[in-house]
Amino acid sequence: MQYSFIDTLVKIWEMSGFSYISWQQLLMIGISGVLIYLAIVKGFEPLLLLPIAFGMLLTNLPLADLMVEEVPGSGQPGGLLSYLYLGVKKGIYPSLIFMGIGAMTDFGPLIARPTSLFLGAAAQFGIYVAFTIARALNFTPQEAASIGIIGGADGPTAIYLTAKLADHLLPAIAIAAYSYMALIPMIQPPLMRLLTTKKERETKMEQLREVSKLEKILFPIVVTILCVLLLPSVAPLIGMLMLGNLFRESGVVERLSDTAQNALINIVTIFLGVTVGATAKAETFLRLETLMIIGLGLLAFSFSTVGGLLFGKLMYWLSGGKVNPLIGSAGVSAVPMAARVSQVEGQKANPSNFLLMHAMGPNVAGVIGSAVAAGFLLAVFGQ
Amino acid sequence: MTISESLLISVFGLAIVFVVLIALCLFIMLQSRIIGAFRLKKKEAPQKKTEQSASVEKKDAAISAGQLKLFDVDEKTAAIIMAIVSHVSKTPLSELQFKSIKALD
Repeated sequence: MQYSFIDTLVKIWEMSGFSYISWQQLLMIGISGVLIYLAIVKGFEPLLLLPIAFGMLLTNLPLADLMVEEVPGSGQPGGLLSYLYLGVKKGIYPSLIFMGIGAMTDFGPLIARPTSLFLGAAAQFGIYVAFTIARALNFTPQEAASIGIIGGADGPTAIYLTAKLADHLLPAIAIAAYSYMALIPMIQPPLMRLLTTKKERETKMEQLREVSKLEKILFPIVVTILCVLLLPSVAPLIGMLMLGNLFRESGVVERLSDTAQNALINIVTIFLGVTVGATAKAETFLRLETLMIIGLGLLAFSFSTVGGLLFGKLMYWLSGGKVNPLIGSAGVSAVPMAARVSQVEGQKANPSNFLLMHAMGPNVAGVIGSAVAAGFLLAVFGQ
Repeated sequence: MTISESLLISVFGLAIVFVVLIALCLFIMLQSRIIGAFRLKKKEAPQKKTEQSASVEKKDAAISAGQLKLFDVDEKTAAIIMAIVSHVSKTPLSELQFKSIKALD
């Protein structure tokens, strides 16, 4: 048997991924590099963007086959990420993340001013605007619903709904949703200044009343019963969100609350991020519709902000100038970034203005609102 | 599905979100009122107690109003005498007025 050095090199080359890599895959690796840069250097939602970007990198390396599904009876195991992806596919990870969010969220400001819920509802406006436009652009109803939910500005909800309705759009929608959430400080302020007068922005709001422990404990129970009875499809998201919140407010399961808001949510975030990123294969991601989704996502986000602000203006008018309309834009979930933007803009107009706690009400109401909107779309378009 | 149907679903969807959140809002308001009412009752109960004890204190103050002159009698003995008088005459101490207690040899 004779060995040729050149033949051996050629064989190694042919067996390596280098000989199989396409320009599309190289482009995707480049995109993942940009996302890694944005996460690390610019700090754009790094907790999710970094694992998403790395998942994107992994899946576009030829021959690695990390997302190859196991064929029953073949004896060949699937790729590592294909098993982890089951948590996304079955809607497990977004629901567990919601439990962590619930354990981290103080619903006190919302209980103190329940009318904040109206702002959380109005800020879902963009979901339906984007849905209608996406339908006009010939997306299927399931795809249009998944694109529209970007307007809810809630990553787990967007992933949950898309995984159920149009999982082939998952990477584009997840990336769009998280990118826009990170860009809130740039997207919202111009709209806020455009739609409100200086006098409205200067409005100082009365201090919120103190909320008792009993009210805080009853809240997750009441919300679960009411929402799930009204819209059963919302049960996984609202149920987990409120379970996490009950852990927090009950005060008797400190360890569970701590696990839900730290260890568990971190572990699930890694699995969710990497596997969602791993769905972004060159052949499914590099399409015109990805650009359309990113454009429609921005539209959804902007219209949601507009919906919240306009309802905020209505509340300003109805309350005789007691409600600052800037808190309306916080209705687009994205806790607590959107509330911070309201605070910053309010202080720019009036340095003695402190809107953060007032904006937290609509902000957490937006989480419930977007989950309800997702539940509705799932009920209408789900199988 | 036509565009007009999509539009209709959008309107309906937004309406559903509003209905659910309005229902929640009403429920929270109701819950707050009920809890608030209970808390108010609880607050009132100890207030009544304190009012009662305040009136007793006032009565006690009325009892101790004025000056009692003691002649060769210590305070302990005077208190026993006043209690006996109240008991025998079946008159509450608050309605009795002692001006002086004098020891007789």
